[in-house]
Amino acid sequence: MTGKWNGKKYKLERLLGIGANGQVYLATIGRSVCALKLGLEASELQGEANVLASLDRAQRARGKPPFLLDVDDYTQEDGRDVPFYSMRYIPGLPLAPYLKRHGSQWIGVIGHRLLERLAELHEAGWVFSDLKSDNVLVHDYGRVELVDYGGVTAIGRSVRQFTEIYDRGYWAAGSRTADEAYDWFAFAMLWLHATDGKRLMMLSRTRLPQDRGIEDLQRLVRTNPKLRPLTEWMDRAFHGQFENTREALQQWRLANRSKSTAAAAAQSGQSQVPGWMAGLLFISASLCVLLIAVWVFQS
Amino acid sequence: MNQILLITDGCSNVGDSPVTAAAQALAEGISVNVIGVVDDGTIGEHGAREIAEIAKAGGGMSRIVSSRQLSRTMQMMTRMTVAGTIRQAVNLELKQLFGLESVGELPPSKRAEVVRVMDELEETSELRVALLIDTSASMKPKLHAVEEAVRDLALSLKARTGRSLVAVLHYPGVNSRIPCILDCAWTTDANRLPHLYARLRMQGATPTGPAILAAVDYYRETCGMINKEVAETPPKLAGDSSGVRSDYVV
Repeated sequence: MTGKWNGKKYKLERLLGIGANGQVYLATIGRSVCALKLGLEASELQGEANVLASLDRAQRARGKPPFLLDVDDYTQEDGRDVPFYSMRYIPGLPLAPYLKRHGSQWIGVIGHRLLERLAELHEAGWVFSDLKSDNVLVHDYGRVELVDYGGVTAIGRSVRQFTEIYDRGYWAAGSRTADEAYDWFAFAMLWLHATDGKRLMMLSRTRLPQDRGIEDLQRLVRTNPKLRPLTEWMDRAFHGQFENTREALQQWRLANRSKSTAAAAAQSGQSQVPGWMAGLLFISASLCVLLIAVWVFQS
Repeated sequence: MNQILLITDGCSNVGDSPVTAAAQALAEGISVNVIGVVDDGTIGEHGAREIAEIAKAGGGMSRIVSSRQLSRTMQMMTRMTVAGTIRQAVNLELKQLFGLESVGELPPSKRAEVVRVMDELEETSELRVALLIDTSASMKPKLHAVEEAVRDLALSLKARTGRSLVAVLHYPGVNSRIPCILDCAWTTDANRLPHLYARLRMQGATPTGPAILAAVDYYRETCGMINKEVAETPPKLAGDSSGVRSDYVV
């Protein structure tokens, strides 16, 4: 397909995903690849593209490559125009499958990179809003990219797009007005969903709306061996009790660092000689001495 | 430019994964290079794979060499990592400003100027290299070579125009709470480097992962790093200005 205004030629390779307001395809342009989002409604798609362009401007100062590559329309055979935009293709696994494949020891690094990304977004005045496992793609060694910027909302406005179990309103933990804390809550839910999805879904299905609350989530965290060391951090995230996202990042780093030292101490404790074995050694040594004594005595 | 240069001869066998630790280091702005030193025999497939993975996760390079080649390998790696970082940054700028894939796509006249600037940056940027040395029992015969190579590295770094600082740490440390030990705080002076042979611990344990994390902690404590921005003011350190080498447990 060829763009109507900019004339760039794309070849759609395969479908990557379907969202509420369009479809994303893997496409090739010349020798490089990109991701192409075909939208249903021109103004809605343009809104998304605007957010991406604004983020790119903020990112340029940090020396990051642009995300948004091209915005255009495509005229179909029947004469209708389909709006689209192209962006950098992000390979990688969504968060939950990545953790399953590579293990929960990556929680610290992934969380670090994700919070950093969120901090950049927040500092540019935006809230991601629709943070969930499917929108967090992890590729090599914990590197993270957010995809589907359809929900990105300006700080202070009402959240445009969200997923129930990640929404703090659903858990009676706050409003649906976009602020940094909204993303912190969803960030905390990411880990509950990725490490303990079954129990979380069970909880959300069985609790009555008027009974649902943060205490339920806190209980899930405390009883989850992978997340228990992060209980304090998660509590602050549920309650929105950080100064800003940079502070949340600092605290995350500290919490995960002490998680590692605690784990190392526990492991080395196990590698010491167990008591019963030492006891056996003592007994066999004593037997040996006794036998020698007997032999000496007899000869 | 912040680097950790890990020198080891085998697999980690205690503590968290060193691959994750290296990824964490990179997330905090420190690249991790790895040199496997092996004189007789091989480092084993598992060891070789781990060394390569640690470097990949840490955004750095890895090589397996003999102790004879150690010195030049360390210098080559340090320099190439600096050049690589600069090249990445420059290519990014070119892409954003002019839509070019790399320096190579510029016409020769412009290319010359850009490369000149890159060389300038390579020479003048501040560089910190934290050497993290495996001193477990099997490293014993190689430690003299390591010492020499470290001195050599410090000497060539000293020749740079830009400020270059070297710190030396070794592992295993005392126990699991202290996985590695600082032998020499940030210094520009090759003569202040420690004699590693004296610090050898006859232990089988190789807590590479926790040691890397401890080295990252050291960076943070001494450089006040927050999100990859290294503090402009030089850090206050125990051994830097006085002539006394102090044993500081990380």
